[in-house]
Amino acid sequence: MAFPWLSAAILFPIGAALLIPFVPDKGDGKQVRWFALGVALTTFLITVGGYLNGYDPAQEGLQLVERVQWLPELGLAWSVGADGLSMPLILLTSFITSLACLAAWPVSFKPKLFYFLLLAMDGGQIAVFAVQDMLLFFLAWELELLPVYLLLAIWGGKKRQYAATKFIIYTAGSSLFILIVGLAMAFYGGNTSFEYSVLMAKEFGTKFQLLCYAGLLIAFGVKLPIVPLHTWLPDAHGEATAPVHMLLAGILLKMGGYALLRFNVQLLPAAHAQFAPLLVVLGVVNIIYAALTSFAQRNLKRKIAYSSISHMGFVLIGIGSFSALGTSGAMLQMISHGLIGASLFFLVGATYDRTHTLQLDEMGGIGQKMRKMFALWTICSLASLALPGMSGFVSELMIFVGFSTSEAYTLSFRIVMAVLAAIGVILTPVYLLSMLREIFYGRENTELTSHTHLVDAEPREIYVISCLLVPIIGIGLYPRLVTDTYRASIEALVVRESLALKELPLPPAGGELIRQQLLKAPLLPA
Amino acid sequence: MPSAAELAWLIPVLPLLGACLSGLGLISFNRTVNRLRKPVALLLITSVGAAAVLSFAVLAEQLGGAAPVEVLFNWASAGSFNLQMGFRVDALGAVMLCLVTTVALLVMVYSDGYMAHDKGYVRFFTYLALFSSSMLGLVISPNLLEIYVFWELVGMCSYLLVGFWYDRDGAANAAQKAFVVNRVGDFGLLLGILGLFWATGSFGFEQIGSGLQQAVADGSVSNGVAILLCLLVFMGPMAKSAQFPLHVWLPDAMEGPTPISALIHAATMVAAGVFLVARLQPLYEAFPAVNLVIAVVGTITLFLGASIALTQMDLKKGLAYSTVSQLGYMMLAMGCGAPVAGMFHLVTHAFFKAMLFLGSGSVIHAMEEVVGHEPVLAQDMRLMGGLRRSMPITSTTFLIGCVAISGIPPLAGFWSKDEILGQAFGSFPVLWAVGFITAGMTAFYMFRLYFLTFEGNFRGGDTELQAQLLAAAGKTVGSDAAHNDHHKANLPHESGWQMAMPLAVLAVPSVLIGLLGTPWNSRFAALVDPHEYAHMAKEFSWAEFLPLAGASVAISLAGISLAAFAYLLHKLDLAQAVAARFPRINAFLANKWYLDAINDKLFVQGSRKLAKSVLDVDSKVVDGVVNLTGLLTLGSGEGLKYFETGRAQFYALIVFGGVIGLVVLFGSLG
Repeated sequence: MAFPWLSAAILFPIGAALLIPFVPDKGDGKQVRWFALGVALTTFLITVGGYLNGYDPAQEGLQLVERVQWLPELGLAWSVGADGLSMPLILLTSFITSLACLAAWPVSFKPKLFYFLLLAMDGGQIAVFAVQDMLLFFLAWELELLPVYLLLAIWGGKKRQYAATKFIIYTAGSSLFILIVGLAMAFYGGNTSFEYSVLMAKEFGTKFQLLCYAGLLIAFGVKLPIVPLHTWLPDAHGEATAPVHMLLAGILLKMGGYALLRFNVQLLPAAHAQFAPLLVVLGVVNIIYAALTSFAQRNLKRKIAYSSISHMGFVLIGIGSFSALGTSGAMLQMISHGLIGASLFFLVGATYDRTHTLQLDEMGGIGQKMRKMFALWTICSLASLALPGMSGFVSELMIFVGFSTSEAYTLSFRIVMAVLAAIGVILTPVYLLSMLREIFYGRENTELTSHTHLVDAEPREIYVISCLLVPIIGIGLYPRLVTDTYRASIEALVVRESLALKELPLPPAGGELIRQQLLKAPLLPA
Repeated sequence: MPSAAELAWLIPVLPLLGACLSGLGLISFNRTVNRLRKPVALLLITSVGAAAVLSFAVLAEQLGGAAPVEVLFNWASAGSFNLQMGFRVDALGAVMLCLVTTVALLVMVYSDGYMAHDKGYVRFFTYLALFSSSMLGLVISPNLLEIYVFWELVGMCSYLLVGFWYDRDGAANAAQKAFVVNRVGDFGLLLGILGLFWATGSFGFEQIGSGLQQAVADGSVSNGVAILLCLLVFMGPMAKSAQFPLHVWLPDAMEGPTPISALIHAATMVAAGVFLVARLQPLYEAFPAVNLVIAVVGTITLFLGASIALTQMDLKKGLAYSTVSQLGYMMLAMGCGAPVAGMFHLVTHAFFKAMLFLGSGSVIHAMEEVVGHEPVLAQDMRLMGGLRRSMPITSTTFLIGCVAISGIPPLAGFWSKDEILGQAFGSFPVLWAVGFITAGMTAFYMFRLYFLTFEGNFRGGDTELQAQLLAAAGKTVGSDAAHNDHHKANLPHESGWQMAMPLAVLAVPSVLIGLLGTPWNSRFAALVDPHEYAHMAKEFSWAEFLPLAGASVAISLAGISLAAFAYLLHKLDLAQAVAARFPRINAFLANKWYLDAINDKLFVQGSRKLAKSVLDVDSKVVDGVVNLTGLLTLGSGEGLKYFETGRAQFYALIVFGGVIGLVVLFGSLG
């Protein structure tokens, strides 16, 4: 039997985390952090090993499959596997978590618990992407909430209790929909099973699909997040510490996008054909709305948090585009934002360690004292505003081209949406560059420099950012490095959704018009 | 052995490698690398120099009649789509390659002198190499998409370089303004590229041109949509080449170091817009309405730039507005369907304007020794005067530049500008008239700059005037200047060889290069467009050429004489005679047509207000609802406590109830 790469990647960090209480440590975290870093790196190597040994990017189907009966009476099996949708995100998860361990280096308050939660999250998040069973998915999804809750509630900022409670109510509440829809889909028809492959083969009725789709959209829309379900995010991000931040922005948000592709598109294609215009509209709203709120926000962390929401809007447009290029771009945007978002949040944390304030009004002119930090901030902000040569540009471009050439929509709809989305192209530099302007440019803020000691970036910080920049620039120069790893799966997915689109029941006015009618009344046909 | 054209990809890659090396060094070993000033500069100059050698080899091949070379590879693909990247070398590209590498090389040598005492010397050279690389990449791009990539990258370099002295508020604001205004143009460019790809399925220049005509002919794209797409794409060049109303960033960009103003904001990057329009001729030539818009925009720009330049007191700002005006001429040529004339003016202008800017840098550098490192003082012509005696090389080359830009034969500007005016006379006589009058204004304001700076008596020692100027700029005496007081000189001196040599070198093409483009035997046209060459030679007649050329020269001489009367001989006080009599017009020009004020009110304040109100909605309404529901559920949870024993059961109950509900629902739906 082949080595169980995915099970190992899920269980190893969780198992190792359980050993943390026995790690000799004086309580300041200086020993346990090496242990945690070692575990996270090993996990990363396991996922890379799985990718190199058991994964063939040219195949569209499930690979690295492992299946063990767990609770046969419930129809529950330990079933994991990876296809193009999950493999890149599994790699991203273990990669970002290793860097988050490095970012957590200065943590000295209850370090053992902190690293325990970090490693537990690592396994839980890989599980979310790797499991192939809806019940397991729900369990993994819930399992990963608890560490985040504790990480927020114990290590957060001043309003941490509020933020943590809001986070748990929002996500736990919305994940109820996953369970309900999962149960409903499993019991639909004769064959009771939670496995994706079985669910995919079921012929769901259209109305059933629409109901399930709506439920899942709420659940995943909270996670992504989709405006107006986003308000947990600025609070959670505003209170989290830098490593938690990196995980929230780098991986947690991607769970929403991944789940949309996995369930809403793959399992419920007929409903997706009806709902897709709504996704596009919501994506555009995300882009513009969050860019504006980010521009007005005076708190640095919340500013970047809103910029994350804005960038995730492109994912929605890509998912709704019904084109291989656009969907591929959505996938790339998730990976790219995972890297760029993590780097920006890491920098926010590193800057806060020095300035002890996040209010832009209290900063200013610190570029002269922290030149390397200034350079790193500039590079990451340029990456975030989709400068060519970096990954964000490629993914946004693919989504733009994919959507504007999509056959699924009328020309006028495409024009309006593309123009509105392109306004984001103007707004993003406005808020990012004015942010840089207020932090680093201009005369030194003497009030700040008089009572803080601004040291420049240390090697550890430069190393973390460089690790993130290598893939960011690599993808920017030659995107096929990444897109080829999931291309086959995305193309199969798009074929599936396009078939459903063709069978979309036409209203009398004709196929082209329905997209516009859907726009006006997008939810349920009468 | 591969031909030079096949190795053309090395031209942008060489400076890029150099920039990466020194950039990585700066981040990893900041102190050490900052100390290695000369070795780093030498490395980067060598990399650009190697690119220059290769560029001239490419040009030589093209002169020898080699065919264009295009190499492509699949850059991104999904489904049936392939986005291709690569490079393409043809005559137009070869000319631009040589132009960019030559000016970049000279500017780098010049910078060694200009930035000698700056603590950001290594960073400056790194940015310069990065810019050269991006600009060269733009020039050899084979399709619109790749142009867009490098278009953004040169914009980024411009942002970094304008904001080079980031502790100055002016530079910081200008950098941001430059980037955002350019993004407004890119917004149109991106949408236009997307639209053209939708309409023609291609990003290539020729394919887009023929594809769109085909699509219009077979009715799949209406004529209006096609024109709209062309105009959207044109928004990109409008921003990059500082055309009205998106020119507002260019004068502010003068906050950057002067070598940058010469390289990026006069010779190369701002010309990229004109270059793109030339590349898109296959597209534009089919739509006369688009050409008309381009010509009108160019004409407004050339008049606007010249009119504002009349009143500028800042030497660099005066040159900046003159650049705006000259870019307008180039765009006018494009609109007249004469890309060869426009490109020729681009080339000649690049040489003499780079020389003028470098000359102004030499002046500012010298002034700083007298008045300190305060741009408000060092760049103001009211404090200059009489510099000809102490700075012979700078003043001579500056004078050559002024003569060239004013259009006095046989210097470069005459041939190229006259060719444009001749074309405009044939296509749009009204626009020709505006261009013709502006030619006189150009001669006037350029010689006004020259006389104020280099003739008369030196006024830099006038401390009372210095205080007035500082007060007018809202600065206090001795903010920046104070700590430089100890090494102040009384009179400015000529700059060192690093700065004087590039000036002297640039003077040669400024005088001679126009002779390559004489209308009866234009070797430039023969290289870039042989058809146009044959056409020009056939159409040429002395009877048409002489009156138009004579009129141009006459109006230029009139402008020069007026400037001489007013600023050299002081026979005429224009402040009394004109400015005081028409205060409205004077205020209108001094306030730059009020465009900055309008932008600030409408867009800057407007967007701030909008963003503020959206954030208010977000925190009060959207989040308010959430908090309210939170309170309510908390209340109901409290209530439930009496009936249930805990949350877990409640949670399970909801799940259970939900499932039952759904099952019932599906049962009824069937």
